[in-house]
Amino acid sequence: MLHIKPILSSLMRSKSAPVLLLLQIILSVAIVANASFIINERLSLMQRESGYAEDQILTFNLYNFDPAIDNMKQNQVDQQILRSLPNVIDASYSNMLPLSGSGWMDRYVDGPDADTAKSTPGFAFYLGNEHLLNVMGAKLIAGRNFTADEINTSLDDSGMMALVSQPLAKAFWGDESPLGKTMYQGEQAVTIIGVVDKLQGAWVDHENFEYSVIQNIDFGGSSSNKSYMVRALPEHIPALEEAISKALYAENPNRVVENFQTLTTIKNLTYSNHRLMATVLSIMVVLLLLITALGLTGMVMFNIQRRTKQIGTRRALGARKRDIIEYFMVENYLICIVGGVIGGMLSLVLGQQLMSLYSLPMVPVIYPIISVIGLLVVTTLAVIVPAAKAANISPAMATRSV
Amino acid sequence: MLSMKNISKVFKTDLVETHALRDFNLEVNEGEFVAVTGPSGSGKTTFLNIAGLLEGFTSGEFSLDGVNVSNLSDNKSAKVRNEKIGFIFQGFNLIPDLNLAENVEVPLRYRGMNASERKRRVESALEQVGLGARMKHLPTQLSGGQQQRVAIARALAGEPRFLLADEPTGNLDSLMARQVMELLENINQQGTTIIMVTHDSELARRAQRNIQIVDGQVCDFSMYQPAATGTR
Amino acid sequence: MFFYYCDLAWRSIRKTPMLSMLMVLAISIGIGITITTLNVYKTMSYNPAGDRSEVINSVQLWSQGLDTWDEFIPSITYMDAMNLRNNKELSLKAATYRTGLALQSDNPKIEPVLNSVRLTDRDFFRIFSVPFIYGSYWDASVDLRPAYQVVISQKLNLRFFEGKNSVGKTLFLDRKPYQIVGVIDDWNPQPKYYDPLNGAFNDAEEIFIPFSLTGQEEFDVWGNTSGWKFEPMITYSDRLASEKVWIQFWTELNTDEQKQSFLGWLTRYVEQQRALGRFTDTAKIPSESVQISDIAKWLEDNDVVPKDNKILVGLSLLFLSVCLVNILGLLLTKFLKRAPEVGVRRAIGASRGQIFSQYMVEVGMIGFIGGVVGLLWAWGSLTALHSYFSMDQSVTGLDASMWIITPLIAISTAVLAGVYPAWVVCRTKPSVYLKAQ
Repeated sequence: MLHIKPILSSLMRSKSAPVLLLLQIILSVAIVANASFIINERLSLMQRESGYAEDQILTFNLYNFDPAIDNMKQNQVDQQILRSLPNVIDASYSNMLPLSGSGWMDRYVDGPDADTAKSTPGFAFYLGNEHLLNVMGAKLIAGRNFTADEINTSLDDSGMMALVSQPLAKAFWGDESPLGKTMYQGEQAVTIIGVVDKLQGAWVDHENFEYSVIQNIDFGGSSSNKSYMVRALPEHIPALEEAISKALYAENPNRVVENFQTLTTIKNLTYSNHRLMATVLSIMVVLLLLITALGLTGMVMFNIQRRTKQIGTRRALGARKRDIIEYFMVENYLICIVGGVIGGMLSLVLGQQLMSLYSLPMVPVIYPIISVIGLLVVTTLAVIVPAAKAANISPAMATRSV
Repeated sequence: MLSMKNISKVFKTDLVETHALRDFNLEVNEGEFVAVTGPSGSGKTTFLNIAGLLEGFTSGEFSLDGVNVSNLSDNKSAKVRNEKIGFIFQGFNLIPDLNLAENVEVPLRYRGMNASERKRRVESALEQVGLGARMKHLPTQLSGGQQQRVAIARALAGEPRFLLADEPTGNLDSLMARQVMELLENINQQGTTIIMVTHDSELARRAQRNIQIVDGQVCDFSMYQPAATGTR
Repeated sequence: MFFYYCDLAWRSIRKTPMLSMLMVLAISIGIGITITTLNVYKTMSYNPAGDRSEVINSVQLWSQGLDTWDEFIPSITYMDAMNLRNNKELSLKAATYRTGLALQSDNPKIEPVLNSVRLTDRDFFRIFSVPFIYGSYWDASVDLRPAYQVVISQKLNLRFFEGKNSVGKTLFLDRKPYQIVGVIDDWNPQPKYYDPLNGAFNDAEEIFIPFSLTGQEEFDVWGNTSGWKFEPMITYSDRLASEKVWIQFWTELNTDEQKQSFLGWLTRYVEQQRALGRFTDTAKIPSESVQISDIAKWLEDNDVVPKDNKILVGLSLLFLSVCLVNILGLLLTKFLKRAPEVGVRRAIGASRGQIFSQYMVEVGMIGFIGGVVGLLWAWGSLTALHSYFSMDQSVTGLDASMWIITPLIAISTAVLAGVYPAWVVCRTKPSVYLKAQ
């Protein structure tokens, strides 16, 4: 039997302590709910599968500064050199590095007339040759890859082809197969020849992150500054860095080979903000619960000390030990639940604020609920120890003049 | 020295109105040693609290040392307590964290006295109660009688005009009680007015003058003496 | 009296070590977190322009077409940059963007490195008060007729010329000889307010060359090039003639009159460009198609302080308030337990004010200790941020203002938490606790 009524009226009579506890619980719920929501959101961002063979991809930057270098030819020669290095599975030029935070974004339209054509959503626009797909470790699920003789070298060539990511295909064509469709950039036609299961872009926070296209252009010849991706088994990668520099400098010393990074490193760097946010907020939640629990324990202990005689009297009047423990637990749960309800509402208000100020998504109601449950568990732990101690107060205390 | 005219004190709660003192009249002259007795619940404690300016009262007039103290602000009554009154309690009420010297020093601190003057007074007060050698001890290291002597030293250090003692020997065995009583008599002989509340009629008899409080009023000593002995 | 209270406070703190530790822990953690986030916020939101913040202005133009971008873009097109450079009304003006070039010197022992290079006009150095130790910026004529001249950083000067005056010497950028005209002293504003677009906390460039070389040389653009319509850039002149935006434009405007006059000029410029078939967004009238941003607005618009940081500052303040309530409860608990002692002190003649002061000193002491420990937490967590999350040193270094802000927050938190308990305890009736113990 839980005697809620006498506990409640005793709470109502003692003013400040329960109010403080209530306030603390309200604030805690509001913080924990919003923080855990943000944490969860960031973690799920970070846990997305990239679809790339992240730890097998080594990227680097090459800059040819010798005016005598014919970039067009050199690009072909360099890629041959890279592919012929021992332990290299494949290598390719790419105009942008996945997950890196910088790259090209573009759109296609579905007709040559700009006024009437419908535009695709913006997508990451990879330019590469027939090796790129293999280097990335991306999975082709429909259609085919480019062949060597289909690769263009300039943006205004004809015979443009594209591989599109499945999410982009779904978003624009729905259930219809995009294979064989002709899309346009200005007046230039592009034929879709393949669909890739997963092909993330460069901007991890962009809503179109999963929308990507690879077009059959080896653009490495058009500029003196470019990046290459080399695929090799993780254990071979450290040695490869030196091997690549050596081979490329041997071919022509008038250039800079630098900025070696695996895709794993790039990914970690890109997600470091989110990891930081999740870490800081997790620490905050843990500390908050700790402080709340310790504070609660301290206050319950004090209350028990103050009520020693009262407890002794209750024991003398026949209260069992569990009745005493129950008394304190019920008292605590009452405060917790009232605080939880108000705190839950406050957390929704706070979530609303965050949403309007920082365009965060709205906190789902489940988060305040989970926070309240979590808090109930924590406060149970915090109260049960001093309450058990209180239950051990001797009934003889009643007769002692205190 | 102390003059109370028609003092009334009423405690009100939602349900009851209790008259702790009603039309209470008392005059105490300079240098007197007055013992106040009475059954429990008679208003002894209320009288002591009012006399010590620890509590206000509902109506009447109260002057101390020729000064009307009926409606003093909290700050002013604290000052009067500090400068003119010394308290001795049944439970000693020493501050457990402070050593003897520091305990005795407390009223002097609140008076804003300088360090050397404080030191002189603390030493002489502790000397007077025979504890000069134990200045650095903590109260818990002393016996009850010694603790009460420290409390007396604390009261004396402020060089008060009069001492209020509330059952000063109530927690002491008879030997210690006698020592404390002798100390009080000693102090009285040096000119300090003492009012002592007690329910020990034997102790009361050692005072110059006995007053009995019954139902919140002073009763003539002679009239009630048989009854008073009977309560013990 | 103060020292007496301090002595009493310290005894009281030591007497209940667990409770005191709990309070110090709560306040220090609250402060540690708040100071950490505030510190990062403070350094990120720092305005390096100081009192020149309103004088230095960047220009944004609504050159996009109808229904494309729905906000001003920080950069402008090459065409607009060239036209703005020709504005005679502006006393100081500079177009700028970033590229990368391979750097070599006559010294064959130093290997070529790819360096980030800023292209700009000579006024850039004056607008941003760049300090020189040797030489100066290039001559005004260079902004009109390009010359291969360069301003380098002291760091480069140390590496290539052992820190001696190198004015007149030659550096090779992409194998072309550039003559050094000036060496700048340590200059690395954080945030990098003249170009926060490519990482607001990146280091300043160490090589500056004339903007007028653009076109004559085909420099890669290291930074965002954005377009709102399909315009293939097959050749470099396609880029220069395109509607793509990639150049920032800066000017100095000292008074409101100058600003109004310049806005007027810009409006007329837009009208003139419309006549030529540009600025096709007819939903905007010409005067709405131009904007100047002083440094404060510019830093705000470019999100130099990340949203996450602002959220963290807010949450940590809430966290601190939880700690505050927590301490409030504990203090109340602790002080009420001492009510009998207060009763004695009151009876002996302490006034309410004296009791209140005594307890406030104790609270202040807890706040002070909490603040010191909190500062240690903050220092530790900032160091951790630097080493585990590769946050920039300039952001994780403890800002000087924190030495004032921390004790301020600590003491005021403690005082807020302590006022009520101290007030309650100082109102203890002296008579209540005296009778029985």
